[in-house]
Amino acid sequence: MSLPAKLRYGFMKDYGAPWLLSLRDRRRAAMRKPRRANPLFGPPLKCSGRLKEIMTRHYLLARFASGAKPVAWVSSGAPVELLRALDFYTVYPENHGALCGAQRMGPEICAAAEERGYNQDLCSYARIDLGHAFSGRTPAGSLPRPDVLFCSNNICQTVMYWYKELAHLWGAPLVLFDTPFNFGEVSEGDISYMKAQTKEIIPQLEKIAGREFSESRFQKVVDLSQESAGLWGRILETLKTRPAPATIFDAFVHLAPIVSLRGLPVALDYYAILLKELEERAAQGIAAVPGEKKRLMWDNIAIWYKIRDFAELFAARGCNFVAATYTNAWAETIHLLDRSKPWESMARAYSLVILNNNLRHRLRLMTAMAREYGVDGLVIHSARSCKPYSVGQYDIKRLMMDRLGLPSVVIEADITDFRNFSEEQARTRLEAFFEGLGV
Amino acid sequence: MTRKEYLLTQIQDFGRRIFGVFPAQYPREILWAHNILPVEIWDPPLALESAKSHLQPYICSVVQGGLELLLSGKAAFLDGLLFPHTCDSIQNAASLVNDYLSLNIPCYFFQHPRAPYRESSRKYYLAQLKALDSALGKIYGPADPGELAERVAQGQNISDLLQKIYGLREKGRLASSNLDFYETVRQGEYLWPDDFGSKLESFLDLPRKDAEPDRIRIILSGVLPAPRGLLGLLDDLGVGITGDDLLSCSRRLLPSPTFQINDPWADLGQDYFSLPPCSTKNSSIGDRLRYLLRLIKKGRAKGVLFNTVKFCEPELFDLPNLRAGLRERGIPSLAVETEVGEPLSGALKTRVEAFVEMIG
Ligand code: SF4
Ligand code: SF4
Repeated sequence: MSLPAKLRYGFMKDYGAPWLLSLRDRRRAAMRKPRRANPLFGPPLKCSGRLKEIMTRHYLLARFASGAKPVAWVSSGAPVELLRALDFYTVYPENHGALCGAQRMGPEICAAAEERGYNQDLCSYARIDLGHAFSGRTPAGSLPRPDVLFCSNNICQTVMYWYKELAHLWGAPLVLFDTPFNFGEVSEGDISYMKAQTKEIIPQLEKIAGREFSESRFQKVVDLSQESAGLWGRILETLKTRPAPATIFDAFVHLAPIVSLRGLPVALDYYAILLKELEERAAQGIAAVPGEKKRLMWDNIAIWYKIRDFAELFAARGCNFVAATYTNAWAETIHLLDRSKPWESMARAYSLVILNNNLRHRLRLMTAMAREYGVDGLVIHSARSCKPYSVGQYDIKRLMMDRLGLPSVVIEADITDFRNFSEEQARTRLEAFFEGLGV
Repeated sequence: MTRKEYLLTQIQDFGRRIFGVFPAQYPREILWAHNILPVEIWDPPLALESAKSHLQPYICSVVQGGLELLLSGKAAFLDGLLFPHTCDSIQNAASLVNDYLSLNIPCYFFQHPRAPYRESSRKYYLAQLKALDSALGKIYGPADPGELAERVAQGQNISDLLQKIYGLREKGRLASSNLDFYETVRQGEYLWPDDFGSKLESFLDLPRKDAEPDRIRIILSGVLPAPRGLLGLLDDLGVGITGDDLLSCSRRLLPSPTFQINDPWADLGQDYFSLPPCSTKNSSIGDRLRYLLRLIKKGRAKGVLFNTVKFCEPELFDLPNLRAGLRERGIPSLAVETEVGEPLSGALKTRVEAFVEMIG
């Protein structure tokens, strides 16, 4: 780490970023034309502005992190608490992929990876990330070069192959937290294996960070993660209210801090504000979709380039998404973190995430969610990028119908690459679905 | 004897249990010690019908074909299914079979630690071996430790024989076509080890030929030596595959001579960690490239043919860097994608012909 880089980063953090953000806000306010409220939706969430500010600041500071702090690129399911305790600046390529997807830049950035021989059938988060590395293209300004690549295969095996490519490309070490897949219950042997790995990983990370791991600091981070996940769970639970005070499309966006800033005070503070606002809306009967007629559940990652369109399409029929297996993933297990037995609880929390768990578990979870949230129908996104999320969905569709009589529809699409999305096919399937729901 | 007749004899004459095993890496010696015959399911010759209503079209043909076999009822005689944790597609297909499909065939799973390996990886692998042994023991009774030790030695012996055969092929001394060679090697996917061992010994006894210095030599990399049409095409073009980096073949082959510790568990552990690098185990690009270069050098190959199963993520991720590494060293390569059970398309045939012409 270099002193000038540290000074530059410190200056940006304390003065530069706040000043730039307020300048940007003033400019935007001056240029903003009064927006007409969209009659399909209730009043927008007030704290969305704060979320934007937090995430913009995160990406802005990332540009100054190289040399000032050790930089880690991290997969969404990796135990980031280890990195936080060592003061790494963390970048989440999946979050960056979602950002590119939402801005409809997926295919153009993927193309840069495809030109280098990466197959179009590979996960598009990975292609975006590699495409960005080759071309520098990103809506986020720029991402700092990683000092370490830290991933866990608790979301997929794919992420390992992807990070291995990054390690080769950047000449940075790859640190893997290997989480055996739970074909049945998680075993004590698996837990011991994961615990043993954390002990092996720490010295590796200490060397890269150039500082010693502090257990007390780690415990504080564990608390922050655990509490943030707890708040995130309560935020999602507000959607059990009828009418729901927000939609899952909101949750897709407000998910960013629990994914990317988990273990930092900013995430906890933000979720406290968001929860308060949602509880107030619920108490006041403010509906995200006025005249909510049908309540739906979403399965799989968002179709990032379609969020706005889908939100409107469904709201126009009086349908609101009130639950999603994807947003639930960050509430489901991270709250299991426990400072009194941090190593064991960390192994369990990260091993039991939905994508590292068998399909029996998934069906049980979805059945419970459908009941608890009063769900009338299920929309299944079969995501070409994501085999671990998608294989099994055709049977889930059948079983949810058999068990709960829950109608559902499968949309064949992709998370960011809209070359794999057929508007016409999706519309046709959705029309039939709406007809079945009677909306 | 057809494969089906062979399996029937194994059941009737030797009282063996038959397990269907999905790709790729598993401790076959433990199954043998329990008098279980593992029959590997890579590319059953079936048209896809029923599997399509369970799997999306973007899932590889190996998994599609395996599921089709199970759904077709043709595998109903199996006493068990073993799913090694090889990739995302096998992982979810395994869970699909175990959790949703009610096929009434008991399912077993085998996990591998992923590279980069550490001390914990070795301990974990050993624990997995013992867990599989104990799961089988619960159903079929414990295996005799002496039997396990013998089977481990037998596994190593088979590896040694295969290495000898590969060595002859490398030197161009085997008088067999690409098709014959792989047909023989692949019999290990379903033969009892005693029978496979004898088969390999007779194969080694076949008359040798003189090396043909002018023959075009290549290395084949990918998952399987399939489809057959590709091997046939290479035979027709006079191309010899002098070495392979195939998941189903040399990536499961121990380095020769094998090293015995004389404790079957320690031997099995040692064997696993001495296997060649593989995409599914998360081996680094550097390790994989070095392995390929060694094969090229030993077999004096002029190029590498990467034959990837369509939608196979572990292989597809490594491909660009492997090819770039070869390119930097002036070694030409061709990458093609195939579906395991399908005939070769005209376009693909033309690409392979052009590649062979270029390196020839
Ligand atoms: S989208 Fe799926 S395959 Fe891609 S990184 Fe995420 S979990 Fe893995
Ligand atoms: S071909 Fe590839 S994706 Fe398919 S089962 Fe084998 S390793 Fe998995």
